[in-house]
Amino acid sequence: MKMSRIAALLVTALAFLCLTVVFAGFLAPYDVAQQNRKLAFAPPSVIHFADASGRIHLHPSVCALEDRPGAFGEYRENHLNCFPIQYLVRGTPYEVFGVVKSNLHLFGVAPQTKIFLMGTDSYGRDLFSRFLCGGQISLLAGLTATLLSLAVGALLGTLAGYFGGWLDASIMRGAELFLALPWLYFLFAARAFLPLSLSATGAFWLLIAVMSLVGWARPARLIRGVVLSSRERHYVLAARLFGGSDTYIMRRHILPETYSILLTQAVLLIPQYVLAEVTLSFLGLGVAEPTPTWGNMLSTLQKYSVLATYWWMLIPGLLLVPVFCGFVLLANELQPGRKARAA
Amino acid sequence: MLSFVFLQLAPGDFFDEMRLNPQISPEAVARLHREYGLDKPLPVRYFSWLKSAASGDWGTSFAYNAPVAPLIWSRARNTLLLTGLSMLLCWMIALPIGVFSAGERHRWIDHGCSFLTSFLLVTPDLLLALGLLWIALRTHWFPAGGMFSLKSAHAGSVAQCRDLAFHLIAPVAVLVLGGLPVLLRHIRAAMTDALQTPYIRAARSHGIPYSRLLFRHALPAASAPLVSLFGYSLGSLLSTSLLIEVVMNWPGLGPLLLEAILARDVYTVIGTVMFSALFLAGGMFVADVLLFATDPRIRTKDIG
Amino acid sequence: MWLRTYPRFTASVLLSASACLFSSVGSAQSHSSNEELVISDNPVGHPGGRLVASLRSEPKTLNPITSIDISSREVIAQMTGDLIHINRLSQNTELAIAKSWTVSRDGLQYTLKLRHGLRFSDGHALDVEDVLFSFQVYLDEKVNSPQRDLLIVGGKPITVHQVDSDALVFQLAQPYAAAERLFDSIAILPKHLLDQAYKDGKLAQAWGLGTSPEKVAGLGPFRLKEYVAGQHLTLERNPYYWKADRAKHRLPYLDQITFLFVPNADAEVIRFQAGDTDVLNRLSAEDYSALEKDQTKHAFHVYDAGPSLEYNFLFFNLNSVLPARSEISRKQGWFRQVKFRQAISMALDRDGMVRLVYRGRATPLWTPVTSASSFWIDTAVPHPVRSIDQARKLLEAAGFSWSQSGDLIDSSGSPVRFSILTSASNSQRTQMATMIQQDLREVGISVEVVPLEFRSVVDRIFQSHDYDAALLGLGGGDVDPNSQMNVWLSSGNDHVWDLGENHPATNWEAEIDQLMVKQLSTLEPQARKRLYDRVQEIIAENLPVISLVSPDVLVAAKDQLGNFKPAELDPHTLWNSQELYLSGTAASGQP
Repeated sequence: MKMSRIAALLVTALAFLCLTVVFAGFLAPYDVAQQNRKLAFAPPSVIHFADASGRIHLHPSVCALEDRPGAFGEYRENHLNCFPIQYLVRGTPYEVFGVVKSNLHLFGVAPQTKIFLMGTDSYGRDLFSRFLCGGQISLLAGLTATLLSLAVGALLGTLAGYFGGWLDASIMRGAELFLALPWLYFLFAARAFLPLSLSATGAFWLLIAVMSLVGWARPARLIRGVVLSSRERHYVLAARLFGGSDTYIMRRHILPETYSILLTQAVLLIPQYVLAEVTLSFLGLGVAEPTPTWGNMLSTLQKYSVLATYWWMLIPGLLLVPVFCGFVLLANELQPGRKARAA
Repeated sequence: MLSFVFLQLAPGDFFDEMRLNPQISPEAVARLHREYGLDKPLPVRYFSWLKSAASGDWGTSFAYNAPVAPLIWSRARNTLLLTGLSMLLCWMIALPIGVFSAGERHRWIDHGCSFLTSFLLVTPDLLLALGLLWIALRTHWFPAGGMFSLKSAHAGSVAQCRDLAFHLIAPVAVLVLGGLPVLLRHIRAAMTDALQTPYIRAARSHGIPYSRLLFRHALPAASAPLVSLFGYSLGSLLSTSLLIEVVMNWPGLGPLLLEAILARDVYTVIGTVMFSALFLAGGMFVADVLLFATDPRIRTKDIG
Repeated sequence: MWLRTYPRFTASVLLSASACLFSSVGSAQSHSSNEELVISDNPVGHPGGRLVASLRSEPKTLNPITSIDISSREVIAQMTGDLIHINRLSQNTELAIAKSWTVSRDGLQYTLKLRHGLRFSDGHALDVEDVLFSFQVYLDEKVNSPQRDLLIVGGKPITVHQVDSDALVFQLAQPYAAAERLFDSIAILPKHLLDQAYKDGKLAQAWGLGTSPEKVAGLGPFRLKEYVAGQHLTLERNPYYWKADRAKHRLPYLDQITFLFVPNADAEVIRFQAGDTDVLNRLSAEDYSALEKDQTKHAFHVYDAGPSLEYNFLFFNLNSVLPARSEISRKQGWFRQVKFRQAISMALDRDGMVRLVYRGRATPLWTPVTSASSFWIDTAVPHPVRSIDQARKLLEAAGFSWSQSGDLIDSSGSPVRFSILTSASNSQRTQMATMIQQDLREVGISVEVVPLEFRSVVDRIFQSHDYDAALLGLGGGDVDPNSQMNVWLSSGNDHVWDLGENHPATNWEAEIDQLMVKQLSTLEPQARKRLYDRVQEIIAENLPVISLVSPDVLVAAKDQLGNFKPAELDPHTLWNSQELYLSGTAASGQP
């Protein structure tokens, strides 16, 4: 499948994102749960390229933050206490994929001060580290839900398109139903009826499953369209004449036609499901503390006082935009090719 | 027809007696069992619940210690106001822009639009909501959430309406901006298809003026998919409004449902979902009717 | 209690003085010449004005007999009077409707004399019949008043009978320390208005919100004026109130108090800032900081009235009666070890909680008695500084060790992990639980924070005992240890860590039982204090509850509100409503 240059660029960018998230432990200077209680709601660290006397260094440094006694959440930089940023430091241990253990971090500073690239939250936890690691859960949730959704959608769509008749009609009616459902209401209701004894993580993954089951409709319809059109192709008729079974025909001839649609849909669906996870976690129905996800990092913003004063807590939300942008643009790029071929 | 299927689906799944256990004492559970015939098999239960629901009794909320139906209705009014208004505004904005962007003249509308829609498409509604709230809190141009300001309770009805309008700015803006990209895209696509038809080309060669061409001739032809879109967009709008209501403190069904879930308030959850299903079914029914009314092909098919 | 003699003395002197004065000097307000008013020695204010306060929920009733919820009780407190009242600021009792009280030598009989000439807010005279009627109603099992439980001493309800035209004798089944505190907030009811309802058995329905003001009367500084559903409830000045200031003006100064119904804390703060309300009752720490910045620009001030009686604590499931699951029994092997609990307590960062959760406006606790009860708190209880090393030493001594990865394992090799249950709607406790989670990680314990809806939490703790550990807060209504009996007695309903069995499971619990029962009937205050101190020491050593922090009482009021003295006991702002006055001509709100 040939890709335009833009598409290739986007794929590389998204792959880079995935790598970042996988190696979050390495890229993040701190552990996600580490609470720096004296530095709650600290603003992003200012990176200095000049030292106290005004000389410019190439080596960036960070100055120590001190809180103002009596005033909560207000900090001042102590310019006498600056430390250079070091690279490839040994810090808190972490695991990659639960297999590779390491404690090497890309960058860090001396223990007397901290570097908060995105500030801290209400417990004093580094938001940059949490954002990187939070991506693991959010993206994984999006990916899992997409795969599940596509699997179900492809199955049902193929069945509907291939066999036609009452199976087709009933599946399509069902698809219309699911398309029109307000998905969040449905999800909420499903959450309400999960047993109390289920842990938050278990409930979360169950919700992902439910979410994906709600979203099978759109891919199903598209797949059905493709299957319908390719069912009439000559080689399919020929294969049937030669005695090929239904399963053989579906597997060998029909399914390959659907790959491009599946890919486009996948690229479109991943951000949608990531957004669904973000919404759920934001509303408090996601994973438990202290695990970060992109959603629950935003949930403290529900309090107006936090929203108005600590602007850096919006950054994880703002960073979602380029991520989604990447996916949507890639989907756009993949589509015209298909249109050109179908026409 | 779709509406009917909807109604069948929504309440049935959720009526499970085991879920009632964590909340109430054994005596209350036993009483409820008898009252609602929970010891009878599922279909019987379901139909008796339907019967009582149809007669207006939707159970009692545990959290508020009040009957569910009036509770839902008072909140539902607010949600309807918000959703209805947003729907209206969204379509009112999207239609002309979409129609013009599909036409050949004023290409800048098309380019501007696609840029805008792409941007809005990638921005999550949540972020839009938080962003607007941030602006409101910093600049006080419009109220940051809530439905009424407190002074308005004593003021006259004109002042109250103005106050309500001010409070509607933020949530409606988010809902409209969130719904625009999808609508715009579909309208544009439908219009483009309609403009390709021989019928339109004939009309153009007749020399019909441009805007009349677009609106009087192309648009009705494109209306069929658009009307079905109306039904589907209602569903997603309802979903988004749930989130927006919670974030912006709008006293609608959203916060009620969230509270009820966190409180395991079974009847309220069922009632709210039921209501939203009804609302959606209603919307789709309207869509069906509109389709019937606007598309002469359907009508003639039935007759002829 | 040690000031027992003083109220009688002061009251009798003042009363005789005022009686002379009143009989000779005519006052602006009409009152019968032998009315015995209480002279209040507050700074004199000037009359007039309307105070606007806010309530987070609407009161459910105006009936003092059946009301339970906070809002109803707040409003009723303004409309009713009691025989002996606890001064919320000094925390001592003072005479109210009773002008004197004596206790018999054996502590079983309390004789109270009523003031003469007092009248209800509708002008009807108060006499002994009303007091007898009130207690009859409260103690009547058929009426089912929640106040009844408060009047049960030694397993039997108090009995009342009249001995004179103005005196009553209250008989207790056993000596009860500080029994005069029992009379606080037991409202004296007007027999002439409620008798019929009582005889008809409809007392519980009487005085609902829709009742017209003429049918409601009490002995409080204010009486009902108007109730508008969903909006506000207004009280007006009681012209027959039985207190006056030194300048002989009858109290209260305020003409009206309006309670606005405001749905949540944020809205309350917004209204206060907008000037709609004059006083704010309980502020959160964030709102306090936000208002503090504004206070000089606008004409109001925020006040930190000091620590409250509320104490937040962590406790473990030590129930012997458990559900069928064996998981918790296994974990109880850890929980039951004192050193385990002590280690946990050593590992917690109480200062961090004060700083992050309450922005510094709280006090760390090592005993469930907060410094708000300045008399009862045992200052000898040690306040160990947080030490992870010490915690590890304690765990080692208890037979725990650490695995290769740093997890804490018990003697059989299984890793130590448990969950902490907390109420999802209370963000402070959830925050504290998350901080505890992080603290315990440093000793290798893996903790899961489980926020559940409040009623589920209550159900799990009190009914099904299905939890590992939980984080709760209890607030004492009164400083007196008797109000905490239910928590410390093994048979008590609030003995949260071990419910179900009525006898003590350990030696130290048995000792606590003995001490608490003893202090209940010890009349001498210093002796009681020694007993209660010992109870606190046992608790601090054995840690059935690990006390965490106590939030401060944070309130705000407009500057023009005179005589505003926020108190640590509830109601913090309006406890002295009869003394409050508004300086300057304009009162707040609309006429």
